[in-house]
Amino acid sequence: MTLMDKFAAHRQRQRELGEAGADPTHVVMERMLSATEAVIGGRRTLLAGTNNYLGLTFDPECIAAGQEALEQFGTGTTGSRMANGNYRGHELLERELADFYGYPYAVVFSTGYSANLGALTALLEPGDCVLLDADAHASLYDGCRMTGAEVYRFRHNDPESLEKRLRRLGDRASRTLVVTEGLFSVLGDKAPLAEMVEIKDRYGAYLFVDEAHSLGVYGERGRGVAEEDGVLDRVDFIVGTFSKSLGATGGYCVSRHDALALFRFASRPYIFTASPCPSVVATTRVALRLVRERPEIRERLWDNARALHRGLGDLGLVLGATVSPVVAVRFDEKERALATWRTLLESGIYTNLMMPPASPDGSSLLRCSASAGHTPEQIQIIVEGFRRAVAVTDEPPGG
Amino acid sequence: MTADLADIEGEIKRILAGFLKDPRSLTGDTDLVADLALESVQIMEFVVEVEDCYDIAIDLESLSNVHTVSELAAVVAARLQS
Repeated sequence: MTLMDKFAAHRQRQRELGEAGADPTHVVMERMLSATEAVIGGRRTLLAGTNNYLGLTFDPECIAAGQEALEQFGTGTTGSRMANGNYRGHELLERELADFYGYPYAVVFSTGYSANLGALTALLEPGDCVLLDADAHASLYDGCRMTGAEVYRFRHNDPESLEKRLRRLGDRASRTLVVTEGLFSVLGDKAPLAEMVEIKDRYGAYLFVDEAHSLGVYGERGRGVAEEDGVLDRVDFIVGTFSKSLGATGGYCVSRHDALALFRFASRPYIFTASPCPSVVATTRVALRLVRERPEIRERLWDNARALHRGLGDLGLVLGATVSPVVAVRFDEKERALATWRTLLESGIYTNLMMPPASPDGSSLLRCSASAGHTPEQIQIIVEGFRRAVAVTDEPPGG
Repeated sequence: MTADLADIEGEIKRILAGFLKDPRSLTGDTDLVADLALESVQIMEFVVEVEDCYDIAIDLESLSNVHTVSELAAVVAARLQS
C-alpha cells in the first residue's frame, strides 16, 4: 500500500471515460464567441450547460466596468481583506448586496465555494448541530464537516423529515443550523422554504440558504427563492455566488444577524485568502445593478426555460417535474448518457454530463441550463439536437 | 425505547432487505458497500429509515465508522441508551 494507491479508482474512471470517447474533463473552450457560443475542438458550439442564466458575461456595461477597474486598480489585490487587499470596490459591493436584500450585513468572499466554507466555519463549532438536506452541494457538506458540529441529514426537500430530526434534537434545536439550497443545481428543483421557515421558527433553530443558482432567477426583484416564497425576512443567512447569474467569480453571505459582521474575525476562508480582483468586483457590481434595473432579462430567461423544458419533454425524455432554468435529462443507463452527451457535442451542442456518484439520485443525466442570452432559435436547435442524438443512441450497434 | 443488540440487528436486516434484490445472505458482518455495493444515495435512504424506525438521529461522523450491519446496530443501541 502506497500513498498513491488511493487514486486507483479515479484512474479507472478516467480510463473508462477515455475508452468511451467522452471525457467531460477534457472539453476545452478554445474561444468564447458570446454568452451562448464557444469554439470547442475547432467547432462552433452552442452552450446548453453554463449556469450563465442571465447571459451577462459579454454585457458591454460589465466589460467596460471591468476594463476601467483594471486600469485604475491593477490586475489583482495581492492580499487578503484583513491586510492590504481591502479595496473601495469590495466595500461598495458589500453595501450594495446588503441593500439589494434589505439586510443590514453582507460579506464578500473570493469564490462561492469559500463563501459556504467561510460562513459555515464561522457559524458552527463542536457542540452545535446541523440539519443538512441530503442533496446539498459538496461545498455545504465540506463546510459543515470542517466545523466539528454534529451533522445530520434529512430527506431531500422533505419538511416532515426535517421536523422529525429537529424534534429528536430536543433542547439542542436552538443550537441547530438548517442548511439547504434555494434551487438545487443538478435536478433544478426548488426547496420548500416557506414550510422550512415555519418549522425552524417553531423549534428556535436557524436557517441557512444557498441561493447560488437562484440569485437573479427567482423572486420579483431577482433575490432568489426566499423572496419568491415570501420569507426573506425570516431566513437567517443567505449565501450565493457571483459565478452564475452575475457572470463573474466570487461569493457572498448576507444576514439580518449582526454576527455576520464578526465573520471577518472568525472565518478562516475569509481571513487567509486573497480578496477578489478589482475587475471582477467591478463587473459584479454592474451585473447586480442590471438584475435590479432590467427585469426583462429575467423574463427572457424564463421564456427560454419554459421552451427548453417543453421541447425536451415533448421528445418523451425523462425530466424533472419542476420547470426551472435547470433542465436535467435522465437516463437509466450510464453508457447511454455518455453516448448521447458525446453525440450532442459532436453535433455542436455542449451539455453537462453527470454520473454517479456526482449525480444526486444515483441516475446518469445530461444537465442543461437555459440562459437569457439564448435566442428562441438556439433553444430549438438544442431540442432538435437532442432529438437526433437520442435517435442515434437508440439504434442497436451496427444498425 | 429499549431493545437488545440482536433485536436491533434483526430489525436493521429487515429494513436493509427492502433495498436488495437478494437479501437471503445478510449477516451481521455484511459490509454495506463492499458486499452489497450500495450506492451512497441508497445508504442515505436506508439510514433515514433506520433512524425513523427508532426515532433517533445518527450524525455523519458516527456513520463514517460504520461498515457492517453489526456496527450500525451498535450505533443505534448507543443512541437508544443516551
